[in-house]
Amino acid sequence: MNLSTVIEHYLFLSTVVFTIGAIGFLVRRNILVQLMSIELMLNSVNLLLVAFNRQHTSNMSGQMFAFFIIAVAAAEVAVGLAIVLQFYRLRATVNSDKATELRH
Amino acid sequence: MELLSQIFPAQDFSLLGVILGLPAIGALVNGLFGKRLGKEAVTLMALSAIGGAFIAAVTSFCMLQHASEGAHEHVRFYYKAWEWLSLKGQGPGVADFRDVRLDVAFSLDALNATMCLVITGIGFLIHLYSSKYMEHDPGYYRFFTYLNLFVFSMLVLVLGDSLPILFVGWEGVGLCSYLLIGFWFSEEANASAGKKAFITNRIGDFGLLVAMGLLAYYVGALDWVGIDEGRGQLLKAVKIWPVGDHVPIANLMPEGVKASLNEARYVSRATLVALALFLGAMGKSAQFILHVWLPDAMAGPTPVSALIHAATMVTAGVYLLCRLSGVMVLSPTAMFIVAAFGAFTAFFAATVALVQNDIKKVLAYSTVSQLGYMFLGVGVGAFTAGFFHVLTHAFFKACLFLGAGSVIHAMHARIHDTDQSQDMRNMGGMAKFMPGTFITFVAAWAAIVGTPLTSGFFSKDEILYKAKTSFITGPDQIPVAEMRSLSIDNFVWTESMGTGLYLVGWAAAIMTAFYMTRLVIGTFLGDFKGWKIVDGWQDPHAHDAHGHDAHDVHGHDHDTHGHDHDGHADDVPHHHHETPGVDHMDGPVPHESPWQMTLPLWILGGLAAFAGFFNAGALYHITHAESLISLEHWLHPVFSSASQVVQERESAHGFFWVGLSLAIVAWLSGVLFAGWMYIQKQGVPAAQLQARFPQVHAFLFDKWRVDEFYQETVIGALDSLAEICVWFDRWVVDGILARASAFLISLVGALLRQFQNGRVQTYSAFTAFGLFLVGCYVITPHDAARVTSNHLTGKYAIAATPGFGYSYRWDADGDEKGEWDSKKFGSRAEVDFDLEVNATRVVRLQVMNALGAVNEQKFEITRPAPSADEQPALRLEMTEEGLKQARPRAAGRDAARPGIGQPSAGPTGQMRPTAPGKQHPPTLDRRAAPHGASPSHGAEH
Amino acid sequence: MSAGDLLFGICSVLCVTGALIVVLAKNPIRGAMGLLSTIIGIAGLFLRLNAQFLAAMQLLVYAGAVVILFVFVVMLLGPNAAVTDRGQKGATASRMIGALLIGLIGAGALRLFTGLETHSFTTIGPEHGSVEAVGGMIFNEALVPFELATVLLIVAVVGAIAVARTVPSAKKKPVVDNPTLRMFHGPLHPRDAERPLDGRLLTEIAINKESV
Repeated sequence: MNLSTVIEHYLFLSTVVFTIGAIGFLVRRNILVQLMSIELMLNSVNLLLVAFNRQHTSNMSGQMFAFFIIAVAAAEVAVGLAIVLQFYRLRATVNSDKATELRH
Repeated sequence: MELLSQIFPAQDFSLLGVILGLPAIGALVNGLFGKRLGKEAVTLMALSAIGGAFIAAVTSFCMLQHASEGAHEHVRFYYKAWEWLSLKGQGPGVADFRDVRLDVAFSLDALNATMCLVITGIGFLIHLYSSKYMEHDPGYYRFFTYLNLFVFSMLVLVLGDSLPILFVGWEGVGLCSYLLIGFWFSEEANASAGKKAFITNRIGDFGLLVAMGLLAYYVGALDWVGIDEGRGQLLKAVKIWPVGDHVPIANLMPEGVKASLNEARYVSRATLVALALFLGAMGKSAQFILHVWLPDAMAGPTPVSALIHAATMVTAGVYLLCRLSGVMVLSPTAMFIVAAFGAFTAFFAATVALVQNDIKKVLAYSTVSQLGYMFLGVGVGAFTAGFFHVLTHAFFKACLFLGAGSVIHAMHARIHDTDQSQDMRNMGGMAKFMPGTFITFVAAWAAIVGTPLTSGFFSKDEILYKAKTSFITGPDQIPVAEMRSLSIDNFVWTESMGTGLYLVGWAAAIMTAFYMTRLVIGTFLGDFKGWKIVDGWQDPHAHDAHGHDAHDVHGHDHDTHGHDHDGHADDVPHHHHETPGVDHMDGPVPHESPWQMTLPLWILGGLAAFAGFFNAGALYHITHAESLISLEHWLHPVFSSASQVVQERESAHGFFWVGLSLAIVAWLSGVLFAGWMYIQKQGVPAAQLQARFPQVHAFLFDKWRVDEFYQETVIGALDSLAEICVWFDRWVVDGILARASAFLISLVGALLRQFQNGRVQTYSAFTAFGLFLVGCYVITPHDAARVTSNHLTGKYAIAATPGFGYSYRWDADGDEKGEWDSKKFGSRAEVDFDLEVNATRVVRLQVMNALGAVNEQKFEITRPAPSADEQPALRLEMTEEGLKQARPRAAGRDAARPGIGQPSAGPTGQMRPTAPGKQHPPTLDRRAAPHGASPSHGAEH
Repeated sequence: MSAGDLLFGICSVLCVTGALIVVLAKNPIRGAMGLLSTIIGIAGLFLRLNAQFLAAMQLLVYAGAVVILFVFVVMLLGPNAAVTDRGQKGATASRMIGALLIGLIGAGALRLFTGLETHSFTTIGPEHGSVEAVGGMIFNEALVPFELATVLLIVAVVGAIAVARTVPSAKKKPVVDNPTLRMFHGPLHPRDAERPLDGRLLTEIAINKESV
């Protein structure tokens, strides 16, 4: 096994983190944990982008994209947590199973 | 007369327009403005319209007489109002693209002129009568509108020059009949009677339409002249069975049955047309099967019954058959059927009339019976006799109906219920109260029972005589070979058939005499059974509901009393709970009717008595005075073509005296028997017979239960059809189409709803799954390859696109065996090979990605021969030195290789074109011979 | 194994363990800490990948703001922040997808460790990934998205405030548990007998002209 890092290592790591984040989002009931899982996924994508940018260095578009992802993710977390707070005020819980108003 | 002939020339006889236009204008004015005009103006309008039409009709009649005095052919005044349309068609009678023209045209000949006189004359009298009869009816103007409209439609019918125009009038009289029968439509029974009349008529109209279609197809013309000319076309045979080549179910039958089922049956076209025409006539003239509307039509006002159902509309059928006599006689079968139906109708209606108690019902069945006589006459070929019976029947039946109306009018002084006021059992002894009515009624009675020397005697006797002695021969033109044994046109009219018709008619004559005498006795003779007559009796329930006076001045010296006329319409149903009868009610003296009502009675009564001398056939046979059969002479040109096939039996002459005496026997026996039973025995034997044979009586009283039969079968069938449709609508349309589909959709919805559990995680799980599927689709291996081709050196390389996890398999060895170079997929992504000139190699590539999906691509690479033509731009003007310089170089190069090719677009496949190779300067002297290419064009590839 | 590879190893371990803690921890504070660990690991990896500016941004924004936000909210929720994960309905779909994703990891591992061709990095100078480079890109090619991102952040701020705001209920009077009031639960002076102390300010009473 080649021990020097190659891009495939980064890809694999990104995949692992993404998968863990995805599973966490799908399985956990706690809204806060779900939001954190989303953050995990975004981070893994950031890692992927920067890794590819390191491989194809003609321009900085990967890092720039990652920069924007960071900004948007921050905004999204802010709003998301505000919603969680309001949800908590309505339901006195942060169990996402209780958020079924759109149920049939 | 000459002046008139100049104003109204025979070919553009606009007087017909006047005859038609006046009643139309009357109907229009009364209809639109009647309510505003007031009663007198409406009466004036209507009467003057019909009166004017009558005068015009008389004028036309005289002009026609004048014109046909010296003429030998059929004189006809013709008037075309406008062109309507023309049908282009094809048929045996219609030459290719010849038009069947339908124009709004009217013609007047001997037949219609007489009918016009009757229609307008009797119409005028009845208008006069109704001006008093319907005096207190709130729908007065509406009544006259409909009456005028009716006269207009009837005139259109008789004056029409072609079948379509006749049909317009036909429908018009049907409509007016409906409107007038249901005149007091607020009573359900009246409205139903109107509907019944219209619908039954409609069934007959279907026959007339079929006849029109057949005539247009076979003969190619629909106007009288055209039909007469082309009627020879009707003598051909038509195969009516089986439709197509064979009957489908015949294959299942045993041999004998199958043969007879498949055997072709033929009838002549004339039979089809004649039967269709007769169906039309049956509906309009109330022959046996379609007679059911006429007795119910008595729900209308009595003048309506007189005009429509005695004198005019019901004779339209007879008129039709007389008009198309030339067509009818071509089919002896159909004529016999007509005669048989006529005879049977006469008999059947007479039996029903024997036991009826309502005056108008008796007269209605009498009308049906006499119509049967007319058809009997027409059916045996005695057109003039049948038509003459139309005229005499118009006179005496109208007189009878108007007289009955007069009696009913008198009964309404006390009895307001419609049924009770018409019931004979409440009448009697009216002779002394209504002498004028009585005398005219007796005159008409004498005519109908066949008192010698009255009009009815001459016409009915003539018909019966002709029924026995006249028959129609079959035309010779129908080839016998086309007739099979079961064809109905192999018809021979035997003498016994004639005798049978005669006997049935004779029996009906006896019954006619009997029931009419019974009617007269019951109504006019004996004691009055309606109420106890109290002088100066006043009606305590003087009805002012309609805003008119309770008192009517009738213009004769009776004590005035308040009562309602029967014309006040039964909108307010009267619940007079008193039952009529001498012991049950008090009432006034029944009174005679005003002059407007009695004058028509006198005129018609006189005509009924004395009009027989227009065609006194019996006297003619005795005295041979030509003036006695003036009608026959008058109508001769109309029926000339038809009378050619009407023949008389040899026994006719001997039969004359027998027939005459039998007719007198019938008259006497009927009258005397009725007189004995009802005057002498006071109706006791009749009651005894009724008690002894109650079923027979009930059967006759229920009019042979034909209505009930229709209710069960025809209307029952329609009801069943409606039930089936309801079931279909409820279970198939609603159930399957609507509810089942809705159920299916809701089922699918219920299924899909399970996915909407409101949890975001489930949604994102499904999203991820969908993305995965999309990804699978996207990650199919790309098998595009880049081909590097160098046609000069013959080296070619194909490089497959790299991809994550791709592995490749090639078949590039050129052995064309279809085997892959290596069985396993390797990672070699590029192959290269050499090609000879004009060689082709097929290279196949299989690409597999990490998921195992495989795609294959085939490349066909050809190394083209170098084309000799270089680009024309390179044809330089070379000097000698240049050529010398060029040649060795070119020679050297060309020696190595035969030609110079121009690299072009490479092999097929997804490839990018390579850069063209080097160009060589043209070699001028080596051009033509080895390659044979023309030097002047560009390289062709 | 060079230092870079060692860094890679440590950071990746940080990432993965942090991720696992986020997903598996019952206490959301522990989850937040795990998130922090992942973020720091990723920042380290950014450094390894010549993305200095981005690494700094990552730490500033993510570790410095996002995680703090999470921690704030968890503390606001108090003991209710933890949720039992038993008795879930409709978890089958999630579990299936989860299995699929684990399969994805397996596929990736297969790819990495079965000797297929790998691609190594080229050497590159330090100006790649520097502030100038990224900033130049942003302000030259991506100026409009940058401004839009600014708008987005403003909208997010406003939105967060709007969503999380409590609407003051109109007529609800807060229950006052005023120790001072409790001391004086009776009138001090007979003239105050009809005027009970109920915690309203005298100014309020004057303004609203209410009777005491």
